[in-house]
Amino acid sequence: MALIHQFEWIFHIILMILSIMLMLCLIRSVIGPRVADRLVAVNMMGTMIMCIIVILGVIMDEGYLADIALIYAMISFLAVVVLTKVYTGVYQEHKLKQQKEDK
Amino acid sequence: MEWLRFILGVAFIIMGLLVFVIQLVGVYKFKYVLNRMHAAGMGDTMGLSLCLLGAMFLLGVSFTTLKLILIAAFLWLASPVSSHLISRMEVTTNEELEKYCKIEKDEEEA
Repeated sequence: MALIHQFEWIFHIILMILSIMLMLCLIRSVIGPRVADRLVAVNMMGTMIMCIIVILGVIMDEGYLADIALIYAMISFLAVVVLTKVYTGVYQEHKLKQQKEDK
Repeated sequence: MEWLRFILGVAFIIMGLLVFVIQLVGVYKFKYVLNRMHAAGMGDTMGLSLCLLGAMFLLGVSFTTLKLILIAAFLWLASPVSSHLISRMEVTTNEELEKYCKIEKDEEEA
C-alpha cells in the first residue's frame, strides 16, 4: 500500500486526462445534431465518471466508493431507458395527431 | 512482489485510458449517429473493464474487489441493452433514413 502513496503523481495525471476527455464529451453532446447523438454522449460521460470514482477509491483507500460507482451505473442505465421510451412515445403521438389533421 | 502488483495495476489502467481516447477520437470522426455508436460501445465494455481490472490488481484480495467484479458484470448486461434502445429510437424517429443506410424490405411469404 505504501507504493500507491509514493507514486501518487501517476494517478493525478491519469485523473487529469480523464477530466479533459469528459469536457470533450460534453462538447460533443452540445454539438450533435440529433437527439441520439446527445444520448450517446451522456452515456459515455457516465462511464468515464465511473472510472474516475473507482480510481479515486483506490488512491484514498476508501472501500465504499465502489458502492457509489455501482449506483451511478444503475442510474445512468435507467435514465437512458426512460428517455428513449418517452421520446419515442411523444414522437408517435405527434405523428398520429398530424395524420388525423391531414384527413 | 509488491512492485509486480503495482506495475501490473498501473499498466492495465493506462491501457483502459488508451481505449477511452480511441473511443473519443472515433466519436468525433464519424459522420452519423449509428456509426458513432460503434465507437461508443467500445469504451463502455472494454475501457471500463480494463480500468476495473487494474484497480483490482492494486487493491489485492479484499471485499472491494468483489464489488468491482459486480460492477463489471452489471455493466456487461446493461450496456448492450441501452445501445440497442438508442439505435431503435433513432430508426423510428428519423424520416430520411434512406439517405444514410440501406433498408431491406421484408418479403412476405404467402
